[in-house]
Amino acid sequence: MESATHDPHTDVDLSVSLAGVALSNPLMTASGTCGYADEYADFVDLRELGAFVTKSITVSPRAGNEYPRVVETRAGMLNAIGLANVGLEAFLSEKVPKLEKLGLPVFVNIAGSTVEEYLAVAEAMERVDIVRGCELNISCPNVKAGGIQFGVDPDAVESVTARVKNACRTKKLIVKLSPNVSDITATAAAAVAGGADALSLINTFTAMAVDIETARPILANRTGGLSGPAIRPIAVYMVHRVYTQVARQAGVPIIGMGGIQYARDAVEFLLAGATGLAVGTALFVDPGCIVEIKRGLTNYLIQHGYTSIREIIGTLRME
Amino acid sequence: MCNETISRRGVYPARVLLNEAICREHYRLRLKLAVFPPSRAGQFVQLQCRPLTPPPDEIVTDWPDDRPPSFTQPELIGAEPLLRRPLSLAGRQDEPDGARLEILYRAIGAGTHWLAGVKSGETLSVLGPLGNSLPIIENKPIAALVGGGVGIPPMLYLAGALRQAGKNVTAFCGSRTKDLLPLSAGPAPADPHGKPSLCAAEFAAADTPTVLATDDGSLGVRGFVTEAFAGWLDARKDAPEALVVYSCGPEAMMRRVGEVCIARGVECYLSLERHMACGMGTCQSCVVKIRDETPRGWSYKLCCTDGPTFAAKDVIWE
Repeated sequence: MESATHDPHTDVDLSVSLAGVALSNPLMTASGTCGYADEYADFVDLRELGAFVTKSITVSPRAGNEYPRVVETRAGMLNAIGLANVGLEAFLSEKVPKLEKLGLPVFVNIAGSTVEEYLAVAEAMERVDIVRGCELNISCPNVKAGGIQFGVDPDAVESVTARVKNACRTKKLIVKLSPNVSDITATAAAAVAGGADALSLINTFTAMAVDIETARPILANRTGGLSGPAIRPIAVYMVHRVYTQVARQAGVPIIGMGGIQYARDAVEFLLAGATGLAVGTALFVDPGCIVEIKRGLTNYLIQHGYTSIREIIGTLRME
Repeated sequence: MCNETISRRGVYPARVLLNEAICREHYRLRLKLAVFPPSRAGQFVQLQCRPLTPPPDEIVTDWPDDRPPSFTQPELIGAEPLLRRPLSLAGRQDEPDGARLEILYRAIGAGTHWLAGVKSGETLSVLGPLGNSLPIIENKPIAALVGGGVGIPPMLYLAGALRQAGKNVTAFCGSRTKDLLPLSAGPAPADPHGKPSLCAAEFAAADTPTVLATDDGSLGVRGFVTEAFAGWLDARKDAPEALVVYSCGPEAMMRRVGEVCIARGVECYLSLERHMACGMGTCQSCVVKIRDETPRGWSYKLCCTDGPTFAAKDVIWE
């Protein structure tokens, strides 16, 4: 919806630095919810974002899971796409030229079933200027060998992070954490020990929806990842725990995500300790929501007397 | 608004002109949009099935200056769905002050039940137009449309477009029973033996004779619409190359229409339906197996952007 024209509030600074990468504002796309950028060209000017995160790239193309792949649940949705993607070669030849036109810092989400596959994609990204970093997907819940085997055990997280970090000679390495663990601060600490430059949290929750007439799971994959507003309070809690117990001391920034739909949601994540903010499921409803969120963030800062968004990061008062 | 702006797909506000029950579970929704890009038969929109404006506590954009915002009350999410609902266009009329869109829908879940309660004068958010379209083929003078239940709407839009292109059009529409057929009685009665007549007002408006079929025989031919259609096709004397068939409805129905056409060498296009989240090609959820030249013999195509219309010969049924 168009809202009334406001003063552009140019005196409020929304810029953040994400592990040394300057972003004009904290808003990013959550991997897998924005394709390779050209899909939304008609619906929103993606240059409103601070950075773009691609869908997962694997060495070989992947067709993905059987249909049905999504089901809506109350205040959220389950997906089991199965890392469907064009593969590394087509990504480099067909998608990178489109990403170059965006003029935004790009982070490429990389997935694989072996460490070698992660390394192959990370190595290839070294040669792509527009790519500022890789986001290591060790938390896809929808593929048997989609990285989750690396993502739930702290020792495995540390070792895969360290090996991929070694391949990221000129690029930043973001590690995307799974919430499907008993203590997310343990995997967060392991990623930091392995050399992660930033942490993304959270990926989706493994979940199931049932067709009560057939007494079968609705998704062909049986389980899927729960996203959307339903998971936001848990995501905010996990960001706050990781920020206070791991990331703040280590000086490693967090990209917070999980159900961000409105500006107020984004403020929650910032207060909890996130430096970057990724929007995912809400883009499916209206890609233009990023413009509204930005406007709302600016208004919030003005109303509370701040001049920079950086002033509120991690300022949640617990006393 | 300049032409460049309205030629882009986007999110547009729409005023509800009418939202009325037409038969059991089915509704007619007429929307007025000040601007809407050009659309074609077979395309669809993603309709937001919840209030347009989020509750005040959820937005941080337009607080009155004298009321500091309060964060003490977390947002409350009602029973309305988060995701939009994909709905086919049943027709469109361009007027000097904008576009009028016609949508026929079946109230079957949380989103469409919410939609059924919307009143004239309210505003809805329309994302679109989306998808490819049902092709109008130059050297095919004779067209048959086969619609089942809530698959009938795109056939209505197409009937108008085909008639404008000067085609000879016959429609076949079916449902389980009379009460579930989202069409109004036309000037002529429905023939129980499958002879096309102006028996459906909406198709009659496009000068399209129609055959109605109900599984229980409560209206028109007793039995499946696919068999009424196959009987009509077999009685035609035209060369198969002169004909083209379009279908939208339940999957078993479209599959049968496809088989009937392929066996007779008649070109056939199906407008498929899939659960989808975005409709814009990003969520990758609405996949259809489509035959191709790859070693495996098929690839997943997206119903929302590669479709929803596919050639019947290319569709691999599960």
